[in-house]
Amino acid sequence: MTVTTHRPSVPDRTADAASPGTLEARRVARRRGVVAEIAARRAADLSPELAGLTFSGLARAAAKAPSPRPFAEHLARPGLHLIAELKRRSPSVGTIAQPNEDAIARARAYEAGGATAISVLCEPHWFGGSIADLRAVRAAVAVPVLAKEFVVDRRQLPLLRSAGADAVLLLAVLHPARRLAALVDDALELGLEPLVEAHDAAELDRALATRARVVGINNRDLRTLEVDPERAVRLLKRVPADRLVVAESGVRDPDLLADWRAVGFDAALVGEALMRAADPRAATAAFVAAGAMPNDPAIADRTPLVKICGVTDADGLLAAIRAGADAIGLNLVPGTPRALTLVEAVALARLARDASARTADRPKIVAITADADPAALAEAIAAIDPDAVQLSGNEPPESVAGLGRPAWKVLHLPATAPRDLAATAAAIVETGRTYLAAGTQRLLLDTAGGPHPGGTGVRPATELAAAVARELPVFLAGGLDSATVAGALQAIAALGVDVASGVEAPRVAGERPRKDPLRVALFVKRARAARLDRPHGPARPTPVHPGLLEADANGRWGVAREFGGRYVPETLMAALEQLERAYAEVRHDPRFWAEYRARLASYSGRPTPLYRADRLAAVTLATARRLLGGEAAADISGRLPSRLRLYLKREDLAHTGAHKINNALGQALLTRRLGKSRVIAETGAGQHGVATATACALLDLPCVVFMGAEDIRRQQPNVLRMHALGAEVRPVTSGSATLKDAVNEAMRDWVTNVETTHYVLGSAMGPHPYPTIVRDLQRVLGDESAAQLQAVEGRLPDLVLACVGGGSNAIGLLARFIAESDVRLAVAEAAGDGIATGRHAAALAGGTPGILHGSRSLMLQDRDGQVLEAHSISAGLDYPGVGPQIAALMTAGRLELAAATDAEALASVREVARVEGILPALETAHAFAVLPRLLAGLEGSGVRYPDETVVLLGLSGRGDKDLAALEREVPA
Amino acid sequence: MTARSGSMALGEMTALSDRPTPSGTNDTAGARRIATAFGAAAAQGRAALIPYLVAGYPDAETSLRIALAAIDAGADLLEVGLPYSDPLADGATLQRASGVALHAGATFDRSIALLERIAAARPATPLVPMAYANQVIGGGDGAATARRLTAAGADGIIVADLTPDEGAPFEAVAREAGLAVVYLVAPTTDPDRRARIAARSGGFLYCVSLVGVTGARASLPPTVGRLVRDVRAASPVPVAVGFGVSRPSHVRALVRAGADGVIVASALVDALGPEGLDVAALGRLVGKLRAATNRT
Repeated sequence: MTVTTHRPSVPDRTADAASPGTLEARRVARRRGVVAEIAARRAADLSPELAGLTFSGLARAAAKAPSPRPFAEHLARPGLHLIAELKRRSPSVGTIAQPNEDAIARARAYEAGGATAISVLCEPHWFGGSIADLRAVRAAVAVPVLAKEFVVDRRQLPLLRSAGADAVLLLAVLHPARRLAALVDDALELGLEPLVEAHDAAELDRALATRARVVGINNRDLRTLEVDPERAVRLLKRVPADRLVVAESGVRDPDLLADWRAVGFDAALVGEALMRAADPRAATAAFVAAGAMPNDPAIADRTPLVKICGVTDADGLLAAIRAGADAIGLNLVPGTPRALTLVEAVALARLARDASARTADRPKIVAITADADPAALAEAIAAIDPDAVQLSGNEPPESVAGLGRPAWKVLHLPATAPRDLAATAAAIVETGRTYLAAGTQRLLLDTAGGPHPGGTGVRPATELAAAVARELPVFLAGGLDSATVAGALQAIAALGVDVASGVEAPRVAGERPRKDPLRVALFVKRARAARLDRPHGPARPTPVHPGLLEADANGRWGVAREFGGRYVPETLMAALEQLERAYAEVRHDPRFWAEYRARLASYSGRPTPLYRADRLAAVTLATARRLLGGEAAADISGRLPSRLRLYLKREDLAHTGAHKINNALGQALLTRRLGKSRVIAETGAGQHGVATATACALLDLPCVVFMGAEDIRRQQPNVLRMHALGAEVRPVTSGSATLKDAVNEAMRDWVTNVETTHYVLGSAMGPHPYPTIVRDLQRVLGDESAAQLQAVEGRLPDLVLACVGGGSNAIGLLARFIAESDVRLAVAEAAGDGIATGRHAAALAGGTPGILHGSRSLMLQDRDGQVLEAHSISAGLDYPGVGPQIAALMTAGRLELAAATDAEALASVREVARVEGILPALETAHAFAVLPRLLAGLEGSGVRYPDETVVLLGLSGRGDKDLAALEREVPA
Repeated sequence: MTARSGSMALGEMTALSDRPTPSGTNDTAGARRIATAFGAAAAQGRAALIPYLVAGYPDAETSLRIALAAIDAGADLLEVGLPYSDPLADGATLQRASGVALHAGATFDRSIALLERIAAARPATPLVPMAYANQVIGGGDGAATARRLTAAGADGIIVADLTPDEGAPFEAVAREAGLAVVYLVAPTTDPDRRARIAARSGGFLYCVSLVGVTGARASLPPTVGRLVRDVRAASPVPVAVGFGVSRPSHVRALVRAGADGVIVASALVDALGPEGLDVAALGRLVGKLRAATNRT
């Protein structure tokens, strides 16, 4: 379509080949403002059409249109939604699709591809759209349709509604605050969901001052048409989380939608990329998939539960079920605002059961009571048949037993900040433990001042709640809403949240509060997403000394903060401080972890399987029995489990054949953030070298790997792999020419090239913040395993066992379980020729405190502090030190020690290979070798295991690299 | 160091000045003796020359001869490296020398004995051992080590991988023993941090001339003059420059830039020849370096 009556500033390129070109056109546009020009033209075009029509008349006509399809409610469902746009042209790029483009077919393809809504351009001159398009698309699809219109006159709104629009775009740039707010009110009144779009802080503030439930942030400046890809992400921080937010413009690649999902957008509007797609259905599906909630077992393990409390009507109840609430509270406390009669409660409970009959996870029906009369309570339980009874009053622990239903007990926090926070928290924790001991199923933590959770509308002091939730499994209740729930869940290790007033429609005097379906959905969405891609915030109680879980500000670990720190030449301090600052930024940046997780999934094959090795379990038990002297079953009864379920975390199946890729990939991404252009690494067995070379190939970074000459000799296959991956392998001949010396040489290189180089340290050791970084990047091992075990066993393991050298595999697997007091933790060190011979690599069993490679830990050394050479057939364990967190765990008595000799490790490799068809790395084989002795109580603490024992063993890597050693060391 | 919004685990980095008892060791007896030596050289219109030797290299007896030769050829102070198995701040020359010394039976006790013999033979020359953190505070707070070093005649100590961030506990016990804890600044140290380190350093401040490990170099970085001027302006104690300083021309350049002292290490070990026995050659080089310390 050519424009003849009015020449636009940015003409259609194909229509006017003689136009002065895009650059000149943009210059003109910048002066006048493209959007103002379009709006003026739109007003002029519409004025004859609207002449003589009144808003109220048009609104009456609109009321007869088919009822609007819910738009905001769809966006409030989990994940990032795609609003797919039909757009023939645009002032920024000119013609996108030919005028004969079949809009209907494309809209149907969008719908089939999974788009949540379809946006239809209505403006004819610059965008080639029309109201007719809108009408036709609305008739052809079942999803809501957004009118992408330049609304300059309120009478356009009912016209658009009449044409079928379910939502309408309102551009903040076109309207002063009051008019914008009035347009929003008009649209809401018509049932037309306004999407108020802003592109800068001032416009956004105007948008947020309206009642709009959905705001859009455009990366494109509509006056200049320039796109800043970070604009929307920057501005998102200004938007409270109780609004739905749509990001717009600049989308070329589906990956960006994963990014936007991670930072918290609810939807993305994509036009040009979809219009240009040859297969719009497939392209839509790709964008939809990128925005969907990631499927990651480790995330499920951290996702909070949600209880919607004080539901008063069917709408609220059904909204809670649709939103996927885990529990629904029916209030039976007389005299409280949400109190139900018994008849009402029975009806709602029945409705809940009927409505969710077909879903796998029916929400629990919780009867809310407070100091109820026992007879009345029994009657209510019989009538409602709740899944649990909540005790919100001052019921004593003894009252739990007589309920006949699982009890949920509310613990009340003081409404005002206590003078002594620690003592108050301790008292509440003590009370909570008493209730748990009495059989209470769940605890809720609420502000005092009312016997009904949420009723006071005051959020408990975050610090106090955090202190209690650190020790006790609690639901957080009171004063939460969709704007605040994520922050609370990120700061407080609560298992779940409870909400009542925070998801209600504005109160009407004299009426009982009612749940607002959109707020219910949004609350659940915000709660579920709160910890997504934030793997390092608290998510469950951790009732152990903080020094076993995290380093302090000085990088020190341990109950006495006696390990860790930063002992390096001054030259490296600037780099370590830079690394610390950069990592502090990314540690809680969901974009980093979303990218990391996505790369681990698509590139390195996460999650790795958890495999139950039944044949090996039988052989292991038989070996344990033999170790106990082959005594008759009766004699060793009770000394060994009779049944063993042995689960192997299959890191051998990760790309490059070991867990090392997790750390290497993460640190390579970090290298990019640091702005460094070169990577160095050390390696022992070569697995970390291969992983780093791989990550560097992927991210196009030059990579130098330092490797002891002795290790080069015994791990040839990995040297060849590093060469093939384009890395330079530098042999280190100093000292013992093994891992320790490779670290020295890498540090020397780093000292020399620190300004351009990032040192990708391979183990959870070294100067602060390396032990934290490597642990964080490896904890996916244990996080995944815990969730996978929950799925198949419904519980955590009795024992977690890993081999340990520097400790990245061990701490990665153990980290999740440190605070789980019922889970025993053990590590297998390399005993070399035997610990008694002095030729070993057992820094925990045979070491003393000292400083090695930048931090204080346990290490092998002589009385002068000279580092002793380690001895192990396994190059990956052949290291005289161990990471500081592992040393802290061991010193605190949280770690059981075992060790396997070279010969035992070799035998285990052969055994596991023959029994299970899995060739484990020599490193990993140390863990297999010690398991029978641990089970028999011959190593470790000696405490007996339950008769039916579940063991999680970290199968850290594959053994292909060790084939030469296996051939060399023929068993005697 | 600037405050920044930190993570829960990493927390806020404590500024050096916020650490406990960061009063430094510049008021110790050792620091005063070191200051006297710098002052004496300055009074003669010179920078102080600080040769370095590895205790026990190539063997115990020869290393004593080396020490005395260096002093006799013009050393104002003597830096005595305690050989270490994993000297990660050192280049190939000093790594090798350390290894040879250890192989020849060097121990901490023997290093103490060497210090005693040097101190007895040349009591006027301050002795500053150089060690790695694990040798000094690896097994404890370093109090016993500090006492033994002082008793043997040491006036200060340089710990290659100890910065003031971790150094406060050791400073406390060193002060008790009368030993100056010498800290290092590097070209990568930002100006604020440099000033804080200088304020904590006892006796003198060790200015690392280059970004890298120890080892003789044909030339020093062109920026070294500027670095020395900046460090000196920020330091309340004398500034001695080391790493890569190998030739009289280097010394002259550093002296021109205002260095209060120069430290020469790997070049002297190289001068001893492959067997480490050419004490005369070492003496000649020390003499030439000493001549180059004159400011005029």
